[in-house]
Amino acid sequence: MYPEDVLRAINEVRGNAIVVPTMTAVPAWRTIAPDATSVDCVGFMGGASSLGLGLALAQPGRRVIVLDGDGSLLMQLGSLATVAGAAPPNFTHMLFSNGVYQTSGSQEIPGSGAVNFAGMAEAAGYTFATRIENLEELHIRLPELLSSQGPILAELAVEEAQLTPMTAPGGDPLHVQVSNLRAALTKK
Amino acid sequence: MPENERIPAGPIVEAIKTAFRSQRTKPPTSKEPLGWVLSVPDTHQRSVITELEGDSELRLLTCSTEDEANAIAAGLHIGGQEVALIIQHAGLYASVNTLRGVGLDGRVPLFMLVGLLSREPDLAPRNSPRSMVRFAEPLMETFQVPYALLETREDLALIPEYYALSREQSGPTVVFVGRETT
Ligand SMILES: Cc1ncc(C[n+]2csc(CCOP(=O)(O)OP(=O)(O)O)c2C)c(N)n1
Ligand SMILES: [Mg+2]
Repeated sequence: MYPEDVLRAINEVRGNAIVVPTMTAVPAWRTIAPDATSVDCVGFMGGASSLGLGLALAQPGRRVIVLDGDGSLLMQLGSLATVAGAAPPNFTHMLFSNGVYQTSGSQEIPGSGAVNFAGMAEAAGYTFATRIENLEELHIRLPELLSSQGPILAELAVEEAQLTPMTAPGGDPLHVQVSNLRAALTKK
Repeated sequence: MPENERIPAGPIVEAIKTAFRSQRTKPPTSKEPLGWVLSVPDTHQRSVITELEGDSELRLLTCSTEDEANAIAAGLHIGGQEVALIIQHAGLYASVNTLRGVGLDGRVPLFMLVGLLSREPDLAPRNSPRSMVRFAEPLMETFQVPYALLETREDLALIPEYYALSREQSGPTVVFVGRETT
């Protein structure tokens, strides 16, 4: 799958979800879903699922979708257990499994791409975890992945993205994103 | 260590609640906690953590790493919740990049109670022979993070004060816990 197609598919069904992209998902999501309620995980690699967890706990009435990188998840792998332990029912973890650290130059991630992330999430105690290989399957399963009781992880077998945060910098600085999202979520 | 040199857990938890209440614009709904405490267990403050486990107003969430705790705190804050961190000095050192990224670049108010395990009660922390204790305050100065030292019951007002300061300045603040809690 191309990650851009995955993001388009998510954008079509996201409803009022809060979205937390990181790494190569950042520039693509910015173009595909400029009006989405989002905050990027930039500058603290591996923190996307934790940022999403805090949002999910604070806003139980909304779905939170984390758009994570495989290298990023490896950097803070313990967060699988923390998410599972906190058990946010409104949490969907979309893992862009491209087998590389694309943003830093496409070096292979540890484990030569053989790591079973869905298996790890399930073993950590996620309600449900699965691996999705093609777009057709993704289109069929997405609505359920975004509505069933979480925490849910979907490992997405993807190619490399067209853009990275290095080749396509931009977007609002993090503090602007933080204050905009807080204002949107806390207004009466 | 004599009992009067230790700080009881109950008043620390009350001070956290005071800090949260003073920032809330409306009381929590019946389903909502007054606020959250995120912790990677700190030996120095273990009695506070035990006290929090049985508290009905605050929600305690144990995290695998201090990096996580910082990012979860950011999410809770963005979503409108009150939140404090309980960690130890080693955890501060372990998570400096996230503290920088979330707290400084993201301008997220992060309030931390940081235990100074092995701190000698008669020495200023920066004069400690132990690197773990000695570098804590200078590190905060490098990061321009306001900090204070909690040593006795009389210092407990520092907790709501530095909590409010983190919100006013939109950034991290730290209260170092210089004595073991009881
Ligand atoms: C703490 C830290 N170490 C190293 C880096 C360098 N770095 C930037 S992007 C990146 C790779 C990200 O890989 P992945 O999460 O798989 O996302 P992808 O780029 O493949 O979408 C690395 C290692 C960093 N940003 N932060
Ligand atoms: Mg990757």
